[in-house]
Amino acid sequence: MLFKRKTVTAGVDQKAKEAYFTASQGQLIWARFKGNRTAMIAAWALVLMIMMGIFAPFLSPYDPTIAGRDENYENGAPQMPKFWDENGFSFRPFVYATERERSIKTNFRWVVTENREHRLYMRFFTEGWDYKLLGVIPANTHLFGLDEGGKIHLFGTDGSGKDIFGRTLHAIWTSLAVGTLGVFISFVLALIIGGVAGYFGGWIDSVLQMITDAIRTVPSIPLFMALAAFMPDHWSSETRFFFISIILGLIGWPTLARRIRTHLLTERTQEYVLAAELSGASAGHIIRRHLLPSFTSYIIVDLMISFPYMVRSETALSFIGLGLKDPVNSLGALMQNVSKADVLLNYQWYFIPVIFFVALVLAFVFVGDGLRDAADPYSDTKK
Amino acid sequence: MAQFAQFALTRAFLALVTLLTVSLIVFTLMELVPGTCAERYLAFKNTQGSQITIADIEAEEKRLGLDKPFPIRWGNWVYNVFVHGEFGDSCILRLDINQLLADKFWISLGICMAALILSYAIAVPIGIVTASSTSAIANNTLRFVSYLGLALPNFLLALIIMLISTVLFGDSLTGLFSKEYRDAAWSWAKFGDFISRAWLPVFILGWSATAFALQTVRALMLDEIGKLYVTAAAARGVSGSKLLWRYPAKHSLGPVINSLGFDLNRIFNELPIVALILTLTEAGALLFESLARSNDQQLAGAIIFLLTASIVALNFVTDILLALIDPRVRRGIIGS
Repeated sequence: MLFKRKTVTAGVDQKAKEAYFTASQGQLIWARFKGNRTAMIAAWALVLMIMMGIFAPFLSPYDPTIAGRDENYENGAPQMPKFWDENGFSFRPFVYATERERSIKTNFRWVVTENREHRLYMRFFTEGWDYKLLGVIPANTHLFGLDEGGKIHLFGTDGSGKDIFGRTLHAIWTSLAVGTLGVFISFVLALIIGGVAGYFGGWIDSVLQMITDAIRTVPSIPLFMALAAFMPDHWSSETRFFFISIILGLIGWPTLARRIRTHLLTERTQEYVLAAELSGASAGHIIRRHLLPSFTSYIIVDLMISFPYMVRSETALSFIGLGLKDPVNSLGALMQNVSKADVLLNYQWYFIPVIFFVALVLAFVFVGDGLRDAADPYSDTKK
Repeated sequence: MAQFAQFALTRAFLALVTLLTVSLIVFTLMELVPGTCAERYLAFKNTQGSQITIADIEAEEKRLGLDKPFPIRWGNWVYNVFVHGEFGDSCILRLDINQLLADKFWISLGICMAALILSYAIAVPIGIVTASSTSAIANNTLRFVSYLGLALPNFLLALIIMLISTVLFGDSLTGLFSKEYRDAAWSWAKFGDFISRAWLPVFILGWSATAFALQTVRALMLDEIGKLYVTAAAARGVSGSKLLWRYPAKHSLGPVINSLGFDLNRIFNELPIVALILTLTEAGALLFESLARSNDQQLAGAIIFLLTASIVALNFVTDILLALIDPRVRRGIIGS
């Protein structure tokens, strides 16, 4: 018995060891990443938010632009679906119908009251406004809606009656898109500049390093502001979107470029590079096929880490009114209204997008940190 | 000594080169934005009711020297800035930029430096002490605060503080000067008033800088604390806070000093947003109204250049400082 058990464990051990030694870089990183609980939770939160962004039009019952506004429910409080109240239980979640009144009794202001006797039941997979899923598939089905033509606002509405729930979901998508485009542009620039500087070294490296360092010292948000201020007012929201992404990308590359360069400087004296050179490979070929793949994982980690900074910059820019503007919903544009005293005191649900922003940034940071630890082969031995 | 002077000179020269590169970048960017200075000014006049023709624009361009090729214009700009310290006239306001910015720039810089000092005054002792402690609560709190510093934007913190102070004290704490001092000349009373209001922006600006600094100090400390010389010192009987401050703390602060320039950079990044929320611009006290609203490339260029120049200057000072206080760096310079 004893003998048998021993062989089994030894066999498993051997297998595990073999798997460990033959694992690719990616598999090792993934295995270490899975062990990090915080990072895994953050990763799931991130995936959830990205999905929410992708399926925003499906999930939001009303058009997030002015076209979908609810003119009878401006600055309306969030409505939480209920299953039961003093009138009994219902399997179908419901909200109350609201009535709007302006008379001498209410001091000539619009006052919204809810009628607790009148339930409006939620319906699922309803038909509503038209949209294109992922920009191509036309559809008009939405996850939920309300009976009797009523409207439900999970996160309330803003000053012009736009549904904050729908706007937040669309905003997550926009912010992610701007971030992705910005990261992509800065990534390409960093690859080219860092690659050239690191591979050739010498005076080319010195000159490129000088430029990189100079750009790194320029404070980026004031520079964004200065550039964004020159965006002509008549530009469409799409043009603004691309312009902002390009600015973000153009200013974000130096840190990554520096790292790529440092890595290449140490790698290019290795024998395999010499071998490739002797075989007559061109410089571009060696950089692309031999040097860059040697640290793909680090590049991915770096991209992940720089992502929240991009999102933050875009948010800051839109927040001060220089970035994306109204018909486009970005998290920053949604937060613009938050700083008004009126909102602070009376309409606190305007803050809901802020929670999503904080969650998004935190998720990226935790995933980035987890990936960095996972990609560091010495992280286990350090602890 | 001669070697040290040589080192300082080399550093100064490098700083100058960096500034020149920055000036080229900033100047080029300002050139690339749509519309020239002349067009902007005349468009502005157009809104005031005067008729503008193409000939007017051309004449104005000639007057401003905009018809000259790019390198010459850049050369002129650099010459004026570096030799005379003159940034020229603002595009639209037609005022001397130096006059327009002088006070605002120094106040902004002062507030940012105060925030920087505050953040390190908090981060250095706390970072060092928590690095050496094994308490899980202390470590987790610190991690949490550091992450919050990144995720909770400064403007949100500002909003929360404003909300609380509006409700509790009936004063939103915005602006940098009370009404009676806003346009007054500088005096001790005005200075006192300024200090009594400036603490809030300083605190808010210092918030995320503190979070970052905490992380840096702690990571550096953790690296140092496990090294052999610390064990050796402990074996010799040095213990407690004496061990901490005399050995690893000293070494871990070197890189911190080195990174001060980048921290200032980060604070400059927060400044416009915080300034906007606390309406520091309304009192004309800070730079950013001109940056954001005016569409004025001369002014924007000058502001960005000034901000960058102060970062480069700080980097230069910290380099020299580090060489002065850290014998290892000094040996590196003089020895080779």
